[in-house]
Amino acid sequence: MVRNTAEVKGINKINKVLIANRGEIAVRIIRACRDLGIPTVGVYSDVDRTALHIRYADQAVHIGAPPPRESYLRMEKIIEAAKLTGADAIHPGYGFLAENADFAQLVMDEGLTWIGPPPSAIATMGDKHSARMAVQKYNVPLVPGTEAGLSDEDLFRAAERIGYPVLIKATAGGGGKGMRAVHKPEDFAEAIATARREAESAFGNGDVFLEKLLVNARHIEFQILADMHGNIVHLGERECSIQRRHQKLVEEAPSVVLDEELRERMGQMAINAARSVGYVNAGTIECLVDKDKNYYFLEMNTRLQVEHPVTELVTGVDLVKEQIRIARGRQMTPTESVLQPRGWAMECRINAEDPYANFMPSTGKITTLITPSGPGVRVDSGIYGGSEITPYYDSMIAKLITWGETRSEAMLRMRRALAEYTIMGLKHNIPFHINLLNSFKFIAGQIHTKFVEENFSMTTYETEVSEAEYELAAIAATLYEHRKRQLAGQVVSSGKRDASNWRWVSRWERLQK
Amino acid sequence: MKYITTINDKKYEIDIDAHGNITVNGEARYVDFLALDGGGLYSVITDKRSLQVVIEEEKSNYSIEVEGRMFEGHVFDERAVLLAQKRGGLGGGSGEVKSPMPGLIVAVTVEIGQPVTKGQTVVILESMKMQNELKAPVDGLIQSISVQKGQSVEKGAALIIIAPPQE
Repeated sequence: MVRNTAEVKGINKINKVLIANRGEIAVRIIRACRDLGIPTVGVYSDVDRTALHIRYADQAVHIGAPPPRESYLRMEKIIEAAKLTGADAIHPGYGFLAENADFAQLVMDEGLTWIGPPPSAIATMGDKHSARMAVQKYNVPLVPGTEAGLSDEDLFRAAERIGYPVLIKATAGGGGKGMRAVHKPEDFAEAIATARREAESAFGNGDVFLEKLLVNARHIEFQILADMHGNIVHLGERECSIQRRHQKLVEEAPSVVLDEELRERMGQMAINAARSVGYVNAGTIECLVDKDKNYYFLEMNTRLQVEHPVTELVTGVDLVKEQIRIARGRQMTPTESVLQPRGWAMECRINAEDPYANFMPSTGKITTLITPSGPGVRVDSGIYGGSEITPYYDSMIAKLITWGETRSEAMLRMRRALAEYTIMGLKHNIPFHINLLNSFKFIAGQIHTKFVEENFSMTTYETEVSEAEYELAAIAATLYEHRKRQLAGQVVSSGKRDASNWRWVSRWERLQK
Repeated sequence: MKYITTINDKKYEIDIDAHGNITVNGEARYVDFLALDGGGLYSVITDKRSLQVVIEEEKSNYSIEVEGRMFEGHVFDERAVLLAQKRGGLGGGSGEVKSPMPGLIVAVTVEIGQPVTKGQTVVILESMKMQNELKAPVDGLIQSISVQKGQSVEKGAALIIIAPPQE
């Protein structure tokens, strides 16, 4: 029986990989290629000439101006870069063109290998409505909701039928954009207008649909791997309930609420969902799990996830290497689903956002960077001391991942690593993570997708601030002010000092003659 | 030099003499305070702790981060304290809303003359793919608006000025 393209076409050659992305994920993919001995090509916009992924890539091609539309989203330019450098495969990373079925098809039409799922699977899962239709046939449980393409009036009536609270979601959406929770009918009109406006500006498509909002639900997702030989496994779950405005901030594997029996059932559901679209390569089935452990399919992400490292640490599988292996048409390494993950892993997303100012994005030059290390610590990062964070791209600049034999050990290592992590030159959310790791509810694993918004604050601390800490802050501020004044005094009376500097220079010049 | 320093709501009298000796509320303290990077990162060694702190200052208003905790403070010398007391107390924030980063104005949600309360959204700024709600830093009346929808702004650009409420 001919199952798929690999058996028809034979093994795909991958001798050089172009990475159609930037930042930490481009670096991550370069690392996997290096480990496999495959040369890499990086692409960059005007502002990324000195970015880390360009410093690490074997070859680099300039592809345009800073806005994504004029560089990282230009399909023909990226294909051209591959042709120019002789790259025979393209890895899209996440974001940008990763879930663009047209691009995947174009790559294949140009005779290049696409390191990702079939374009048809991307297209079906990329549209939330067709995704629901596809998985339904495989008895995958769905959150009650509406179809796409309804008018505001129809949606309003549907909301009454489903029952508040409801969630408005963009048909073409992702990353929380175009998404709004509505708790009462009188807020509906304004929320739908905002959601449509956001969806229109983010995806060029203002269509939205409704879903019942499950209160205090957890976001739990399953990692899927499938090769062209019909093998398909899951690599266990990731708990991603720590989010803010639907953006994940902390992920862990496994989840405190899954036992082996539930993992097996949910994992089988995830495998079925992936099968419903003939999935090949790495993908993720996102689910909501309510307090009674009922689970519902949310969507499938047809790409490598940001949080893939936590799965790697508890399974020992290098997901990017497997992606390349699968794209080559070989059998993937894992032969069985993972029902007993090894130890515990946790990831904190380090974002250039100010947690003390409503998570406002921050830009600037990194002046000082001390990266944590030591037992059980992994850092996937796109920054270095002296690198510039520009306003054009995502605010996530690095990921801090820790591993331990138990959840407690992983958390203690995370606390230690966060305390070591020093980034100066812009605002970042490390203080948020430090405070989160001090939250008793988080430590106890009592979390849900609204935890950050509803149960967490940056201004009240669960452990008392000691008098000594206040005093230390007072002393530090006062010494700073005192030095500033002393320095200002010196500048005013600096006539003599300037002259002496000048004398030193001329004397030095004479000595050099 | 004598300073009055407030941290959150606590008040400290700190004296630094010509030799750099420090007393806090009259008690001597051993403190070694060293800049690490010229950009606000400091190492502080006291007789009890060795810590790294991040200090930011704007017009003697301080933000001090110690192990993930943020302290807000003000440092005054004796003369400034006297002046401030005449004006009716220490502290009091500015009513200016500035753009915290380069971006695009998506919406201005207030009008001139409109009363606002601290924390109310006044401008929506899009940057780094996100819509950010800029909030009123103080209660008051919208005195001036210097941007409009669709306009690109640089970091630090003045957007809105809020005047204190009239009694």
